[in-house]
Amino acid sequence: MSKFKLANIFAYGFVTLFSIYVLLPIIVMILTTFKTRREIFLEPLGLPGQFNFSSFEKALSIGLGGFIFNSFLVSLFSVILIVIIAGMAAYVLARIDFRINRYVYLLIVAGFAIPPAAVLVPLYVTVSNLGLLNSIYGVVMPLTAFGIPFTVILFYAFFLDFPKEVEEAATIDGCSKMQIFFRIIIPLSGPAIASAAIFQTVWIWNEFLLALIMLTSDEVKTLPLGLMKLRGEWSSDWPSIMAGLTIAILPVLIVFLIFQKYFVRSLAGLGK
Amino acid sequence: MNKTQTNSIGFSLSSDRVSVIILLIPALIFCTIFIFIPAFWAIVGSFYSYGMTSLNDWKWVGFDNYIKASQDEFFWIALKNNFIIVFASIVLQVGVGTILAAILDRGIKYGKVIFRTIIFTPMVISSVAVSIIWLIIYDPNVGILNSILKAIGLPTPSMGWLGDPDISIWMIMIVAGWQNTGFMMVLILAGLQGVSKEVYDAAEIDGATGVKAFWYITLPMIRNIIIVAILITTIGAFKVFEFVYVLTQGGPSNATQVLGTYIYLQAFNLLHMGYANALSVVLLIIALILGWFQLKASRRA
Repeated sequence: MSKFKLANIFAYGFVTLFSIYVLLPIIVMILTTFKTRREIFLEPLGLPGQFNFSSFEKALSIGLGGFIFNSFLVSLFSVILIVIIAGMAAYVLARIDFRINRYVYLLIVAGFAIPPAAVLVPLYVTVSNLGLLNSIYGVVMPLTAFGIPFTVILFYAFFLDFPKEVEEAATIDGCSKMQIFFRIIIPLSGPAIASAAIFQTVWIWNEFLLALIMLTSDEVKTLPLGLMKLRGEWSSDWPSIMAGLTIAILPVLIVFLIFQKYFVRSLAGLGK
Repeated sequence: MNKTQTNSIGFSLSSDRVSVIILLIPALIFCTIFIFIPAFWAIVGSFYSYGMTSLNDWKWVGFDNYIKASQDEFFWIALKNNFIIVFASIVLQVGVGTILAAILDRGIKYGKVIFRTIIFTPMVISSVAVSIIWLIIYDPNVGILNSILKAIGLPTPSMGWLGDPDISIWMIMIVAGWQNTGFMMVLILAGLQGVSKEVYDAAEIDGATGVKAFWYITLPMIRNIIIVAILITTIGAFKVFEFVYVLTQGGPSNATQVLGTYIYLQAFNLLHMGYANALSVVLLIIALILGWFQLKASRRA
């Protein structure tokens, strides 16, 4: 009995300590936004003397709203493209007996393995030749390409488990593969689409390296670049930097907390 | 509506093939233009010397870029750091993630969802934001890490947490672990929840409970998921960029450089495009080897 209790204390203790490790930086971020620069210097561990919202106004004045809007557009366009394009390809791979499928799947896995940094210079040249430097499409296009392989793998697993009878009935009714895909498969793939969209949104919303090399003027910068700009311009004005971070992170955190079940489910499916 | 469908039956065999190609081709076009052709040019470009302003003025240098890399101390530091990050991430993220998952699965009764939600949260925050938050925590003047240590009378590093080449890579690992451990926990937890209750009942009859049951029975049953988790972590460790770029810029004196940041530095700060390509090819080869393992693992799963 006492051994059981000891194990229990260890179990709760371990997850509690880990949770504190996770929560502490978020608490530091939020508390710092309300402090004055004097307060963080004199008493790093102290609570803010009063709730001071001036740092929020300062953070918004640097154009954070614009960066958020750019990130929103990049994520929206890329995720729509990725889900449609990867869904179509995965359907062919999983469902249609086509000679080249084996090689296509190998290419997709290779594409999944290759990180942007391994093709950095030629990718920059490609986007430059397409005239897309300093345009959000200059990141939407490559991000779509890098998002496709993983999403194909995700959809492929889903389509393999999909009941074949529905498609057979549709084929007898004279539907082409294309019609079957858009009228039958897509409407029945809600959970897989949600998983893929959630995963890709999180990744693209936070993507930094490609945005860093493709987007140099402020009007087109995405949120992670905007946060680096805050950091660069206000090197020691921590309350304003943290206010900027809070504004950037809070909407994502709220969305996450509302939909956390779906987030967890979509990522958990990866292991299968 | 019906009429067009009847018409299409007339050449259904060829139209089927056409629609298959139409479904497949966008994915192939995107990946070819933005992944495979650039990979090809990275290999070709690694045998040339050219800069940002002379993108069309390539000079053949043979294997010079690779010879340069083999003699470049910072390239080896970067490569070594990537391997340190691989092993540290496997221990910290997969290892601790497994312990957390095991506790949340069967170790505790109350608060499972709350703990899971808290621990998973960093996954949705951008790595740049995460790194900036940790910059203030590590800051020698205003950081809480130093304040806490001073308050309990422990020494603090004189060059700062990120300024000391001996510890800075580990400070980066703490940040990476903060962000990614929850993801591993959720991944492994999903696997654990697939293990049926009967297995544990049978184990209990054989006298295996608690940690013993986990080690001898559960762990072998979720072996495939652990392999997938290790592969995802390893691939991620070679993609590391933001943590290093934001926290240390590869410093102090290149001690925390990784392949990603070193390629970026050579290409876009020093404008050694050919050399950056040679470094990219090293990363490419590692990535493809890992991709091959990934393929093997997924076939088995």
